[in-house]
Amino acid sequence: MSVMQNNSEKAKWYLPGVLGGLAITGKHLIKNLFNQKKMMTLNYPEEKYEYSPRFKGNHILTVKKDGSLRCTACMLCATNCPAECIKIVAAEHNDPSVEKFPIQYEIDILRCVFCGYCEEACPVDAVRLGPEWQTPAVNGGKFIYDINHLAYRPNLKGGIQTHVDDEERHKQGI
Amino acid sequence: MPKCTINGKEVEVKEGTSIIEAMQQSGDRIAHYCWHPGLSVAGVCRLCMVEIEGNPRVQIACNTMVTEGMKINNTSDKVKDAVKWGLDFHLINHPLDCPICDQAGECGLQDQYMEYGKYDPEMAEPKQKKHKVVDLGPTVVLDSERCILCSRCVRFTEEVSKTNELGLFNRGDRTEIGTHDGMPLDNKYSLNTVDICPVGALTSKDFRFRQRVWYLKDAETVCNGCSTGCNVKVYYNREGFFRVKPVYNEQVNGYWMCDEGRDIYKFVNKDVRYVKAQVRTNGGWTEMHAGAAAKAASEVLKASAGDSAALVLTAQYTVEEFEAIVNTFVNEFKSKKVYFWINNKETFDSFDNLLIRGDKNPNTKGLLKVLEKHGISATWADLSAGLSSGAIKTVVVAGPENLAVFPDFAERAKEISKAQNVIWLQAAKHDALAQMNNNAWIIPMKTFVEKDGTFINHAGLEQKFKKATVVVSEALTLTEAALLLSGKNLTIQATPANEFLPLNQRPDQVELEARKKNEFVFKRGSL
Repeated sequence: MSVMQNNSEKAKWYLPGVLGGLAITGKHLIKNLFNQKKMMTLNYPEEKYEYSPRFKGNHILTVKKDGSLRCTACMLCATNCPAECIKIVAAEHNDPSVEKFPIQYEIDILRCVFCGYCEEACPVDAVRLGPEWQTPAVNGGKFIYDINHLAYRPNLKGGIQTHVDDEERHKQGI
Repeated sequence: MPKCTINGKEVEVKEGTSIIEAMQQSGDRIAHYCWHPGLSVAGVCRLCMVEIEGNPRVQIACNTMVTEGMKINNTSDKVKDAVKWGLDFHLINHPLDCPICDQAGECGLQDQYMEYGKYDPEMAEPKQKKHKVVDLGPTVVLDSERCILCSRCVRFTEEVSKTNELGLFNRGDRTEIGTHDGMPLDNKYSLNTVDICPVGALTSKDFRFRQRVWYLKDAETVCNGCSTGCNVKVYYNREGFFRVKPVYNEQVNGYWMCDEGRDIYKFVNKDVRYVKAQVRTNGGWTEMHAGAAAKAASEVLKASAGDSAALVLTAQYTVEEFEAIVNTFVNEFKSKKVYFWINNKETFDSFDNLLIRGDKNPNTKGLLKVLEKHGISATWADLSAGLSSGAIKTVVVAGPENLAVFPDFAERAKEISKAQNVIWLQAAKHDALAQMNNNAWIIPMKTFVEKDGTFINHAGLEQKFKKATVVVSEALTLTEAALLLSGKNLTIQATPANEFLPLNQRPDQVELEARKKNEFVFKRGSL
């Protein structure tokens, strides 16, 4: 890193710059005091910014009509994940038409780079990146999202249904 | 010896060789689902199409014999077109549920589709629905929809296991594989059908859904399950070992292996192993590092060197290890009290005329050879007598790896624990060992996949095998334990600096290709 030094006479006149800066601050202060609605900042925890629905934020696991997980535990998302943050444990389902389902699906959100490769890889539209972007937590354990969080956290209101429907597909004989 | 030309290469083959065998010999790739070198020729999948010069139509390679001067080609457009349509017919009723199917990643249909397919399907009709998740027997699950009716499994039960459980039922596109009424697929070789299934129709209950195959690495080794010594591949990753498959060896096992042998990965995994040495002196158990425990035990051994020290060996270790420990006993401790722990003497010589032998130790011959070399002929009765009279004070036991084939383990452990000091070298955990109430050192051992060595099978064939990976890094091999028990230190032998480097390379130069092979990385992107 190089440091530029300005040693000219003009640079010694710092007072105008300081006062100019204070003037800008004062201008905003008065503007905001008299016109609070047009304030440029948000009172963060109470007021939140909404990004567009295309925004790639926290993951969502989609569900079928009956509310069960859409995921078939094929591990393509885990395979494709460049950060290797997805861990899936598959198990045999009692229903022969489902066959395979995840009993454990965990995303280590601290490792995740939100690249979206998991949703690209998913052949059944089971994992999506949703518009939520806040990921605060008190301790490390909270950053590992399990099935409960990914599919059934309260703000998803019982899970997000996908447009792909197995039953209809089966009926059509595909 | 007819000569033929395959894809422009001249190949000389034996009389009566089929084209597909000639292609295997010349190294040309050819798809085949129904043909298997260990089974009869069925010719039902129609995918091994080749073009023969002078013949207007394409032929199947598996059932056409090579004749003198034959010119064979399987890379022409005509063949490609034929294979493409053949593949299309195979995929008519195939459900394409690769995300659920366990064969994904090593599936013949997937491979073939990537090579010749990649087109839009032209079938407008709905797929024929068949049975899903059919429980064929205690080991195998069938998915009829995925089945492409190559009949390999049916021919296997007819020709190899000779149990005839499977059959093809119904006609046309309603044909399904199934078992005859009330007859489950239950024989000692049933899981070979899973191996030879070119698609994921037959899946092993044991391996089903536990890992995707592309997460697994493999290594060739020799089966530790019985004295046949089948050549096998073990599949593992950092989570442990997951399955075992046979490797072709004409002298030993051909293409097959038994179901019992497929369980050998289970006693290798960490959850059933001693990870730390357990030491019981002054009445309480403490944990120690394996090497430190062996060093501590060496003090006791030295104190009782001579005739009050005895060694009990199971035939589950390699020849080199037997040599090391017997040598230590005979030459360092001057004791010829070395005993062979025979687990099931009555059934030792039984044989089912295919692969399974009654002797469930991989290296009985090797152990006997080492004992003979050192002129040792002590029997278990001598040990029993020595233990009851108190003449034997310290016993070193090289315990079995595969506890399942030692039904008398608990009794023998009880008998041995009559001795004042027991130094038990073993890989797998067992309750009987934790109940010992004398001075005991339980020292974790490495299993057969974690070390290099030689097994000598029932026929006297010496088979060398290499280390696959490390599961319990702290565990010792019997050679290392022998060194430590005799009070010596382990030395790490330095590899000569440029043993593996070609002469025109700098000693510090590492090629990227070589590094990629050595690193443990998932085969990402290879799909």
